[in-house]
Amino acid sequence: MRRQLRSRRAPSFPYSYRYRLDDPDEVNQNYLADEEEEAEEEARVTVVPKSEEEEEEEEKEEEEEEEKEEEEGQGQPTGNAWWQKLQIMNEYLWDPERRMFLARTGQSWSLILLIYFFFYASLAAVITLCMYTLFLTISPYIPTFTERVKPPGVMIRPFAHSLNFNFNVSEPDTWQHYVISLNGFLQGYNDSLQEEMNVDCPPGQYFIQDGNEDEDKKACQFKRSFLKNCSGLEDPTFGYSTGQPCILLKMNRVVGFRPDLGDPVKVSCKVQRGDENDIRSISYYPESASFDLRYYPYYGKLTHVNYTSPLVAMHFTDVVKNQAVPVQCQLKGKGIINDVINDRFVGRVIFTLNIET
Amino acid sequence: MVKRKKQKSNMEELKKEVVMDDHKLTLEELSAKYSVDLTKGHSHQMAKEILTRDGPNTLTPPPTTPEWVKFCKQLFGGFSLLLWTGAILCFVAYSIQIYFNEEPAKDNLYLSIVLSVVVIITGCFSYYQEAKSSKIMESFKNMVPQQALVIRGGEKMQINVQEVVLGDLVEIKGGDRVPADLRLISAQGCKVDNSSLTGESEPQSRSPDFTHENPLETRNICFFSTNCVEGTARGIVIATGDSTVMGRIASLTSGLAVGQTPIAAEIQHFIHLITVVAVFLGVTFFVLSLLLGYGWLEAIIFLIGIIVANVPEGLLATVTVSLTLTAKRMARKNCLVKNLEAVETLGSTSTICSDKTGTLTQNCMTVTHMWFDMTVYEADTTEEQTGKTFAKSSDTWFILAQIAGLCNRADFKANQEILPIAKRATTGDASESALLKFIEQSYSSVAEMREKNPKVAEIPFNSTNKYQMSIHLREDSSQTHILTMKGAPERILEFCSTFLLNGQEHPMNDEMKEAFQKAYLELGGLGERVLGFCFLNLPSSFSKGFPFNTDEINFPMDNLCFVGLISMIDPPRTAVPDAVSKCRSAGIKVIMVTGDHPITAKAIAKSVGIISEGTETAEEVAARLKIPISKVDASAAKAIVVHGTELKDLQSKQLDQILQNHTEIVFARTSPQQKLIIVEGCQRLGAIVAVTGDGVNDSPALKKADIGIAMGISGSDVSKQAADMILLDDNFASIVTGVEEGRLIFDNLKKSIMYTLTSNIPEITPFLMFIILGIPLPLGTITILCIDLGTDMVPAISLAYESAESDIMKRLPRNPKTDNLVNHRLIGMAYGQIGMIQALAGFFTYFVILAENGFRPVDLLGIRLHWEDKYLNDLEDSYGQQWTYEQRKVVEFTCQTAFFVTIVVVQWADLIISKTRRNSAFQQGMRNKVLIFGILVETLLAAFLSYTPGMDVALRMYPLKITWWLCAIPYSILIFIYDEIRKLLIRQHPGGWVERETYY
Repeated sequence: MRRQLRSRRAPSFPYSYRYRLDDPDEVNQNYLADEEEEAEEEARVTVVPKSEEEEEEEEKEEEEEEEKEEEEGQGQPTGNAWWQKLQIMNEYLWDPERRMFLARTGQSWSLILLIYFFFYASLAAVITLCMYTLFLTISPYIPTFTERVKPPGVMIRPFAHSLNFNFNVSEPDTWQHYVISLNGFLQGYNDSLQEEMNVDCPPGQYFIQDGNEDEDKKACQFKRSFLKNCSGLEDPTFGYSTGQPCILLKMNRVVGFRPDLGDPVKVSCKVQRGDENDIRSISYYPESASFDLRYYPYYGKLTHVNYTSPLVAMHFTDVVKNQAVPVQCQLKGKGIINDVINDRFVGRVIFTLNIET
Repeated sequence: MVKRKKQKSNMEELKKEVVMDDHKLTLEELSAKYSVDLTKGHSHQMAKEILTRDGPNTLTPPPTTPEWVKFCKQLFGGFSLLLWTGAILCFVAYSIQIYFNEEPAKDNLYLSIVLSVVVIITGCFSYYQEAKSSKIMESFKNMVPQQALVIRGGEKMQINVQEVVLGDLVEIKGGDRVPADLRLISAQGCKVDNSSLTGESEPQSRSPDFTHENPLETRNICFFSTNCVEGTARGIVIATGDSTVMGRIASLTSGLAVGQTPIAAEIQHFIHLITVVAVFLGVTFFVLSLLLGYGWLEAIIFLIGIIVANVPEGLLATVTVSLTLTAKRMARKNCLVKNLEAVETLGSTSTICSDKTGTLTQNCMTVTHMWFDMTVYEADTTEEQTGKTFAKSSDTWFILAQIAGLCNRADFKANQEILPIAKRATTGDASESALLKFIEQSYSSVAEMREKNPKVAEIPFNSTNKYQMSIHLREDSSQTHILTMKGAPERILEFCSTFLLNGQEHPMNDEMKEAFQKAYLELGGLGERVLGFCFLNLPSSFSKGFPFNTDEINFPMDNLCFVGLISMIDPPRTAVPDAVSKCRSAGIKVIMVTGDHPITAKAIAKSVGIISEGTETAEEVAARLKIPISKVDASAAKAIVVHGTELKDLQSKQLDQILQNHTEIVFARTSPQQKLIIVEGCQRLGAIVAVTGDGVNDSPALKKADIGIAMGISGSDVSKQAADMILLDDNFASIVTGVEEGRLIFDNLKKSIMYTLTSNIPEITPFLMFIILGIPLPLGTITILCIDLGTDMVPAISLAYESAESDIMKRLPRNPKTDNLVNHRLIGMAYGQIGMIQALAGFFTYFVILAENGFRPVDLLGIRLHWEDKYLNDLEDSYGQQWTYEQRKVVEFTCQTAFFVTIVVVQWADLIISKTRRNSAFQQGMRNKVLIFGILVETLLAAFLSYTPGMDVALRMYPLKITWWLCAIPYSILIFIYDEIRKLLIRQHPGGWVERETYY
C-alpha cells in the first residue's frame, strides 16, 4: 500500500528545475563562462503544490514511521540483528503462511524425494549390474591374482596380540594364557581328528590332485604328535613351567604356492641382535625343521576344506633368563624371500623372549 | 567507542557541503581576520610561527595499509579462513590421537600442514599479484615539487608549496598550480581550470568580486591544486593542506569505508553453504558411529575428519588463478585492476554512474557546428578526424575562417609539428583553441594567415562587452585594414547592418534575423557554446600607420557585416555511444553525474545515448503537450535531469524515488558530496554500482562505489588512488569489455566450482563407508590431496578459458540476492547426482581390485578391526589365503590408487559436462585448448603418480593393471549421457521442473 502511494506521488517534485531556451542570455550562459551565475540563480526550485489529501496521507505515513522507529528503538539495539536472523531462520525452517518446510512445500518435497529415490534406485541397479559382471569374471575357487600375497608370510603361536613373550616361570598366571592359546590352536591337530578327516599321503612330494576346480580336495594329515615335546601331550604346559617355552611357527597359506621341489622350506631361529649365545639350544619338531612338500599345493578353502597348515615347533630349551632376548625365525629355501624391509612378517618373524625365574 | 563516534560524526561533517564565508568579506575584514597586510604579506617571523602552528601545506596522504597487514588480509580473508579452520581441526584431531594413542596415523598432521601450506602459497601469490598492480599505480604519482610565489615582508619570493601558510599573500599566473585555497584581492584576466574539482569543462574567470553565495561558485576564490590557465591574480591564503576544499574531499575519500566486493560476498555465501553441509554430514555420522558402537574419541576424530574432508582444498587456488587470468586479460585490454576481487564486480554491475568531463567526453572544446549562408553545417568532431566535410567552397566560409583565425588570441605551443592538429597543446582559452584547431584543420595554417594580416589593434574580451575585436592589415591591399569581431551572437548582431550570403553582402532584414534566431536556438539547445562572427573592411581613410586607439575608439565600429555562427562543445568520445548502448542491452543503467551545467550535460547525454532518442523529460512532455509540468504523467517521462541545487534539498527517500522511477537520469551541477550521496542511493536500492570519473570531485564516489573506475591518462592521482580499476586508455568502451569479462568469469567460476565440488563426494564417501561398513579405507588422505591439489587443478582452471554459452551482453545483470555463485542447485547437482555416480565408480573399482586379490565384498564387511591389526599377520581372505599386515596394506593402497585413478577418469566426463550449464557439449564444441591440455595433464599426472618407481614408498601409490583403469569408463559415459539428457530437458522445457531444480 505504501509503495503505491509513493509511486503516485513521485512526479510531484523532481521537475522543479527548469531552463528556458528562449532566454538568449541563458542559452549563452556558457559563453566564456561568465554568465552562469545569473542562470544559476534563476534555476529556482518550483514546488508543485500538493493536494490536501496527499499531504494528509504523507503525514500519516510519517507518523507511522515514527512509531515504528520508536518501537525498534525500544527493543534491544544489539540483539535486534540476531533476533531478525533468528526469525529468518525460523521462517526458513517452517513457513506457516506458505506451508513450507526448508523453503519447499510438501508437494515439492515429495516430488524431489521421489525423483532422488528413483535416481538412486537406478544407480543401485547400475552398481548391481556391474558387481554381477564382476562375479562372472571371478572364479570362486582360485583367486585371480596371488602376487600380492606371495611370498608367504609367517606367523607364530601362541598369538597374544603381542610379540613379546614375558612370563615368570614360578608364576603360572603369567604364562597360563599361552598354554590355553596353544591348546586351543592344536585342537584341530589332534591325532584322532586328523586320522579321521585326512589322508596319510607320501612325504617328500607334492600332493597334487588333478580334476575339476570345483571337486573337493583331500588334505594331508599333520598330527599333533609330530610336535613331540611341544605337542602338549607329554608336557601340558608346553615347557612354560620349566622356562623352556615352545613356540609354533606356521607359514601363511597361499593358493597354489609350491616350495621348490626336493628342497623343503626350513625354519631356523637365532638371536636377532645381541649375543648369539643368549640362546644356547633350540629343538625343532618335526626334527627336520621343515614344512614337508606333501602339504602343498593349497587349493583354496572352498574345495580344500580340511586343509591343515603344517607347523614347525621351536623348543627354546636353553635361553638366557631374566633378560629380553630378541629372536628372529626365518624360512630358508629356494624361492623364499625373508628380508623384505617393509614387511617383517614375510619369510620371517621376530619376537622377544623374556623368561624370568 | 567514543573515538569511533567522533570519527563517524567527522565523516558526516565531511559529507556536508563546504561552509566558508571568506568570499563574503571585504578586503579590510579579510586583512583583519588573517592579520596580514594586503600589500606586504606576512613577516617572515609570522609565517614561520604559523607554519609551526598549522603544519605544512600538504594533503595528509591516505593512511597506507602496512604491507604486512595487506599480506595478512590475503592470508586470512574469505576463503582462506575455511582452510585455516580445516587445518586447525586436523591439528586438534591429531593432538587428540597423540594424547590417547602412542603411535597415531600421521594423516591428520600431514593434512593440517598441507592445508596451511596451500593457504600460505595462495596468499603469497595473490599478494604478489596485487603488489604488481600497485606498483603500476605508484608510477602514476607525480613527484615534482611545486613552487609558489608568495609576498612576505613586502618582497616576492619563491618557496615550496609545502611552506605556504594561512594568510600568505600569493601571486599566481597562467600555468601555475594554485598552491592553497585563495581569496583573490586583485586579478588581471585570470582564469582557472576547476575541472578536477567541479567537473566543469571550461576555465572559469576569476576576479576579486563576490558573486555568489556558494563558495564553489563565487568568482573570488581559487582552489588548492586547480590550475590557473591564464592571467595573473593575487590572493590571500584562506586554507591550507587538509582544510582546503580539495583536502576535505581527499579526507572524505580516504575516510570512507569500503564495502565487500560482490565476489567476496558470494564466496562467503559459499563458505556458509559448505559449512552447513560439512557440519550436517559430520554430526550425522558422529551420531551414527556412536550408534555403531565406536568410542567417543573415535567418533570425534571421525567428526573432524568428515568436516575437513568437505573442505575443497584446491578451490582457493583455482579461484585466485582464474581471477588473475581474467585480470591479465583485462589488463591487455587496457583495464588495470587494482584489487583482484574487483575483476568480477564489473560483471555484476547493474548501475554505472559516469562522470561526463573527460570520461564520456574528450575534455577538449571542439567546433561542432557552423551556421552561414542560412544553413547549419556540421563540423567533424571525431577524435581521428574521419567525419564528414561541409561546403568549403562558399565565399562566406572563406571570410568566416579568416575572422575565426585572426580574431583569436590562442596559439599552438612550439615544437609540435609532428603531432596531429587535434592533439597539439595550445595556449589560451578553450574556445579560442578550438577555433584555432578547427581553422588549422579545415582551412589553412593560421600562423601564415596572421603573418599576412598583421594585427594592429585589438579589444580583448571582457564580460561587459561580450565581444572581442581586432584590426588587421589586409592581405590583398596592404594599405587598408579589416576589422574582425567575434562574441556573443546577439551582441554581434547588434553591430551589424548587413549580412553575407554566398559571399555577397545583403542588408539585414527580418527574414535573416528570424533565421539567425532559429539557428542560435537550435545550436544553443544542443548545449553548445555559440559565437557570432562579423567584419568590416575599414575605409581607405584608415590606411596603414593609422593610430588606432582602442580606449577612445577613433574608428567606425558599427554597420558591420554579419558572417555566421560557430558553435562548439566538448564532444563525446567516439566509442562512448556504442559502449552506452551495449551497457543498455546488457541491462545496465547508465547515469550521468556531472558538475557541469544541465544543458550541456543533457546535450551530451543525448548524444551518447544516456538519454535515448524518443525518451523525454517531464519538461519536454509538458512542452510538447502544452500542459504545466505538474500535470505530466509520471510514466510518460522516463528521463530526468536533476540539478544539484534540487538534490541538496531532497530527502533520501525522494532520491530513491528518482532513481527508481526513471531509467535515464542525468545529475548536473553536483558537488563531490552529492556524487557520493547518489552512489549511496543506488546502493540502497540494491544496485551494484560502478562509478567512472577522473577528477578529485569524483574520488569519494569512486571509493564508495562497488567498483570505482578511474581514467589512466587524464585522471587525477586522488581519483586513481580511490579507484579499484583504471582504464589505461581512458576509453569508456573498455568498461564494456570489463563487464563482459566479469560476467564470463562469474559463469566460469560457477563451472569451476561445480567441477571441483563434484569430486568431493567420491572423496568423502570412502571415509563414511569405512566408518559404517567397516571396510578397508578405500581412499586415503594423500590420494585425496593428490586429486584436490594435483589432478583437479589444471582442469578447474582451464574452465576459466571457456567461452560464453550465449551472448552474455544481452542478458540482465545478475541479481546479487538470488543469483548466487554457489546455490543449493549446484550443491545438489555436484553432491547429490554427479558426485554419487563418481563415488559408485570408485567403489566399483575398489571392489574389483579386492575381489581379484582374494577379498570378496561380502567378506570385507566389518573386517576393519582385523584389517587394521598390526599383529594379525595371517588374516584370512575369501579363498583361505593368509595375509600379513603389510601385504594387505599394499592391496589397500593399490585400491586407493585405483580409486584415485577412477576419480580422474570420471572427472574427464565431469569436466566436459561442466563446460556448459545449458547447452549441449556438442553445441559448445571442444575449442577450449587449455581444457584439452587439462585433461591430458590430469591423466599423465595420475599415470605418473601410479607408475613411477619409488611412489610406493613416497606416497604409497602402486602401479595398476590397465584393466583397472577401464572400470570407471562406463561411469564416465553414464555421467555424460545423464547430464546431456538433463540439459536437453532444460533447453526443451524452459522454466520447467528440471531447470528449477538443477540449473545452477
